[in-house]
Amino acid sequence: MEQQDPGTTFDDGMDSFVEKFQSQPYRGGFHESQWEEEFEKIPLFMKNSPSEIDPLENPDLACLQSIIFDEERSPEDQARTYKDEGNDYFKEKDYKKAVISYTEGLKKKCTDPDLNAILYTNRAAAQYYLGNFRSSLNDVMAARKLRPCHLKAIIRGASCHLELKNYVEAVNWCDEGLQIDATEKKLLDLRAKADKLKRTEQRDIRKAKLKEKKKQDQNEALLQAIKARNIRLVAEAAGEDEDSASEGLSELVLYGLSSENPCGARLSVDDQGRLSWPVLFLYPEYAQSDLVSAFHEDSRFIDHLMVMFGETPSWDLEQKYCPDNLEVYFEDEDREELYCVPPSSTLLQVLQHPRYFVKALTPTFLVCVGSSGFCRNYLRGKKVHQVK
Amino acid sequence: MAETSPKAEAAKLLPFLALGERADLQAAAAQHVLALSGSGPGRTLLAGQAALLQALVELAVAPPPAPARDAARALVNLAADPGLHKPLLAAEPRLPVRLLGCALDPHWPWAEEAAAVLANLSREPVPCAALTEALAATEPGESGLERLVRALCTPGYNARAPLHYLGPVLSNLSQRPATRAFLLDRNRCVVQRLLTLTQYPDSSVRRGGVVGTLRNCCFEHRHHEWLLGPEVDILPFLLLPLAGPEDFSEEEMERLPIDLQYLPPDKQREPDADIRKMLIETIMLLTATAPGRKQVRDQGAYLILRELHSWEPEPDVRVTCEKLIQVLIGDEPERGLENLLEVQVPEEIERQLQQQDHQEREQCEREQQELELGPGPQAEKAAST
Repeated sequence: MEQQDPGTTFDDGMDSFVEKFQSQPYRGGFHESQWEEEFEKIPLFMKNSPSEIDPLENPDLACLQSIIFDEERSPEDQARTYKDEGNDYFKEKDYKKAVISYTEGLKKKCTDPDLNAILYTNRAAAQYYLGNFRSSLNDVMAARKLRPCHLKAIIRGASCHLELKNYVEAVNWCDEGLQIDATEKKLLDLRAKADKLKRTEQRDIRKAKLKEKKKQDQNEALLQAIKARNIRLVAEAAGEDEDSASEGLSELVLYGLSSENPCGARLSVDDQGRLSWPVLFLYPEYAQSDLVSAFHEDSRFIDHLMVMFGETPSWDLEQKYCPDNLEVYFEDEDREELYCVPPSSTLLQVLQHPRYFVKALTPTFLVCVGSSGFCRNYLRGKKVHQVK
Repeated sequence: MAETSPKAEAAKLLPFLALGERADLQAAAAQHVLALSGSGPGRTLLAGQAALLQALVELAVAPPPAPARDAARALVNLAADPGLHKPLLAAEPRLPVRLLGCALDPHWPWAEEAAAVLANLSREPVPCAALTEALAATEPGESGLERLVRALCTPGYNARAPLHYLGPVLSNLSQRPATRAFLLDRNRCVVQRLLTLTQYPDSSVRRGGVVGTLRNCCFEHRHHEWLLGPEVDILPFLLLPLAGPEDFSEEEMERLPIDLQYLPPDKQREPDADIRKMLIETIMLLTATAPGRKQVRDQGAYLILRELHSWEPEPDVRVTCEKLIQVLIGDEPERGLENLLEVQVPEEIERQLQQQDHQEREQCEREQQELELGPGPQAEKAAST
């Protein structure tokens, strides 16, 4: 509107304004084809506000915004405006923007503790829905510093502790809140939930402890069984001499017992106290191997060989690996000597041999066909002992 | 010298007990009164001196250097005799109110003694009613009962007094319906806060008080479903003190409530036989209705009770345990007997049952005597309660 002289009345100005259109067409109207778009741009008729306000696109809106966020207003007013803005974003579930608005409101450092407590609590809520439970908890604690009895802050704090699995803290916060309002349903529900989860967690800890103890007891029993049989174990690392502190060795053994060897088999004991070992058979002629996952210590080599070589294996090109032809050896790596094992011996008998050292809890044996050329070659130049 | 009667002697103490007297004289007089209160005749003597009792109460609630502790302890002894309640309350009608104030004051050093007096007083209906009234006078925001429960359940409520005797106080109060109504209010969280105290290690007084309270609450069979349900979940807390370090199979373990699963090998059972008996009685109450029985069965109570039965050294507790096991493994009763608390027992049957009860008790006493006179070193004769 044009500035009026103090003397003239409003009506006069209006009359002359309207009279203009008797002679001239109105130029500021909507265009027929795009009137809806233009309608949407008028702040009063907007259905959705744009997330970013571009002063060139929406000069009216930018103008309004600058009025609202005018730096000349009091910090309390500005903070309140930011709070409202944050609440609006919150309602639209735009939690990230809500956090930003609340943060701006807090930056104003206004002197109203209630307003600040609300800003902190609301920001905590937004953080909660973003999954930032620690930040949410910090905000709630800041809110309570200002207003210790702010129930919404206490409820939010208890929820955060619940999500962070601090069940004891969650229950404590609920109890504090219930002192302020003994019938607050949200707190009653939270408390019951946290208490149940706490008790479940305690059960899980007890269960794990008992399981661990059982495992340790089993391993200890296995270790004792090995010791009782006078079976010598050797550590993986080369150069580790067998007289190294027995403690170090039993630790190694226990470690070996608790993990499975790469092939997934491990030492076990049956109800009668008899051991079963994972045993590796190597066939140097064809660079092949077989793993017997549970070789009972009282069973004989020949029993297993009968099963393993019931049919000649695919790699046995000359089809000569039959149970009757096979010779079993173990190597004394220290002295680089071989020992021939009679197939009728039991595993236990061989393991107890003074020169047999079990490596990585997996006894290993070499197998070849006694009469073959390969075998003769293989044994040439090596000292071979015969085990009784 | 003329022989002075004990009455006259006692009367002589009176001036020295007055407030404002010299502290050392007060202390000596209070100690004398405390000594008197330790014997039956001494108590009777004191009971006849209203003015002396009044002065004693004033001292018991007076700030230092008054000998408040000794005065309170004298009151504990006096209140232990139900016959003395009348003269006590006549001498100072506001005794319950004033002691309550001390017991619930987080800074009062002799709050435990005050609570002990209240525990003794509240055993009888008249003082119990007076105490209930005192609690009902609400302060803004928090009722007296709520404050009592909070004092009992909050560790460190009073830095100088453990407040174990608030347990028996609550137990006595829970004999009244109004107290039970507050404890069992579904819109609040009250009874739930008491549950963990059944495992409180440092005081059998506190534990006994809490279990007594829970037992009294379980007379309200309308609340059984809620008590046994997830909002309160009372059963595990009653079974836990009765459970030992049992090694159940995996399958049996999964049937137990979470709180009873995988208990460590050093788990101890409740050491006090009376409390064990109360716990079993409480569970028994919960089996009065058919749905209650089902819930107790489904939550694996039988397994715990079975183990308890084979361990239980006390004959009367064992009998109580047997009865409960019978209920759990027995057939469902016929129509009309679904709620055992409401059944009308015909006179003839009632007489037979009482006779049976009497015989059982005699049997138990005989077994008890056999235990005490058995071979081996003589155990100290247990003091009668």
